[in-house]
Amino acid sequence: MTGSFVEVPLPSRAGAVAAPAARRSVWSRVRRIAPPYLYLVPAVVLLVVWTYRPLTQTFYLSLHSWNLVPTSPMREAGFGNYVRLLTTPELGESVLRTFVVIAGMLPFTVLIPVVVGLLTRRVRGRAAAVYRALVFAPMLVAPVAGAAVWQWLLDPASGVVNRLLGTELNWINTTGTAQLVIIVITGWHLVGFATLVVSAGLAGINPDYAAAAQVDGASRGQIRRWVTLPLLSPTLAFLILMTVLLSAQWTFPLIDTLTQGGPVGSTTNVYYLLWEYGFRSHDAGLAAAAGVIFFLGFILLAALLAGLADRLSHHDD
Amino acid sequence: MTTERGGHDEPVGARGPARRIAGHVVLGVLGLFCAFPIYWLYATSLRAPGDVFELSVLPWPLSTGNYTDALGKIDLAGMLLNTGIVAVLSAAGQLLVALLAAYAFAAWSFRFSRLLHLMFVGTWLVPFQVTMLPNYVLLSRLGLLETLAGVIIPTLCSAMGVLLLREHLKGFPKELLDAARMDGRSSWSTLWTVVVPALRPVLAALGILLAITAWNEYFWPAMVLQRSNAVVQLGLRSFLGTEGNEWGPLMATAGLTCLPVFVLYLVLQRHIVNAFVRSGLK
Repeated sequence: MTGSFVEVPLPSRAGAVAAPAARRSVWSRVRRIAPPYLYLVPAVVLLVVWTYRPLTQTFYLSLHSWNLVPTSPMREAGFGNYVRLLTTPELGESVLRTFVVIAGMLPFTVLIPVVVGLLTRRVRGRAAAVYRALVFAPMLVAPVAGAAVWQWLLDPASGVVNRLLGTELNWINTTGTAQLVIIVITGWHLVGFATLVVSAGLAGINPDYAAAAQVDGASRGQIRRWVTLPLLSPTLAFLILMTVLLSAQWTFPLIDTLTQGGPVGSTTNVYYLLWEYGFRSHDAGLAAAAGVIFFLGFILLAALLAGLADRLSHHDD
Repeated sequence: MTTERGGHDEPVGARGPARRIAGHVVLGVLGLFCAFPIYWLYATSLRAPGDVFELSVLPWPLSTGNYTDALGKIDLAGMLLNTGIVAVLSAAGQLLVALLAAYAFAAWSFRFSRLLHLMFVGTWLVPFQVTMLPNYVLLSRLGLLETLAGVIIPTLCSAMGVLLLREHLKGFPKELLDAARMDGRSSWSTLWTVVVPALRPVLAALGILLAITAWNEYFWPAMVLQRSNAVVQLGLRSFLGTEGNEWGPLMATAGLTCLPVFVLYLVLQRHIVNAFVRSGLK
């Protein structure tokens, strides 16, 4: 592997090249072009095998009916799975719940981090390092361990929360509060990370803008509204996009360990529904059809948000 | 929370101690909300088995009874070892694969570079749950269900790792690469003698980040190891959800599950936070 680091166009050799020389030049051309591709082979092969191949196969599965048993036959089903999926009330309800989760996550991933970030820019030194360590810690807690400790905190009879409030609420197994519990625990995992991202964004803003506005007589509130927040908008767009795309995935381990989608389906969001179709009902076709629809839906949503973010973001050029 | 040059959006003179105190209060409340559950986890696990329902903030007398209880109920040591193997092999594999790919993007400009780069970015849009069924079927055909290899192999290409390292290598001085070429070094030896030493801090941070993620991974092991509960996240699950939880041993198990990560975090705090935040921003 002795290729040059920058691919140079092959010098044109006008007409009169003898056959052996041509063969050699093809060989040397391959040797020159091949290295970057060779370095990419492991990553690309893995990507194709574990991401893009299954993606196309999910499309294929969605048009068939199969119960996941290797020996049983796969039958063609046309769009039957899609029709079945779109006529169940479960789908609409789970989509709605997914939006509730996303909306419920935004305070934790955007609102609180921005407020905290703005309020705490003057806390520094050792105290700042301690706070940073504290708020970041939940990010490191395994989701199942997080589920375990929150189940203990929220225990109806002897949990700290109920004993402090003087109530005996069964937070996790009540339809009204189960979704809230899932949102708060997921928020607890992420709020520290989001706060750090916002702080990094704030630290990256050139202070000259604020100083200039101040010279022009702008008040603190005005500067925050018209200078700092607009310059922070790319960071905020990133956090919002992340929340929208990943909220439903983040809640999965909590739902699977705490509520299994219940009570009465009140915490079943789109990904949990998919999991149930696949591994509870062993209905591969239906699960694949749901996967395809959610995949397309999220792409649409992501494109919309990215477009919106691009239009609204102010860049610090 | 800290900025090198904070408070520039306010007039001079408005930076009283009052605002600084407000900052401490806000951060203190948030810090308490974040840290209390973790504290309570360890506090409960260290209470004597009879005192588990106590509300006193300090667990006293300390006892390791819950830990011995948990170790007697499930094969916790074996699970921790398995999880460690998964985390280390998965992180090392991802690091190597990502390094090679990122090197290709940074050191050469080649025709399909943009397209291949998009292939990596595109994985953000493909959620695990959409690809899980075909991957499950493939693993079962390969006979890798219920094995640790089945947990590790599908994770080996981390698109995030490739993109992060690519960003870092972009800033790598091209002159150094050219100089190595003038010396007649192959691109392979340039990678290991010039690029890797310069990239060591980034590689270390990314490696730790990947290992922590692999350690805490739940969804994929839950699918591959449906019967055996061979990693701690799944072992912990087997304690949960039943009526009349034994909170003491459960907290001890959860505490041990998180302990290796916390130890790593305490030792390498600054690097880990930087790696997390940077991976989020790129």
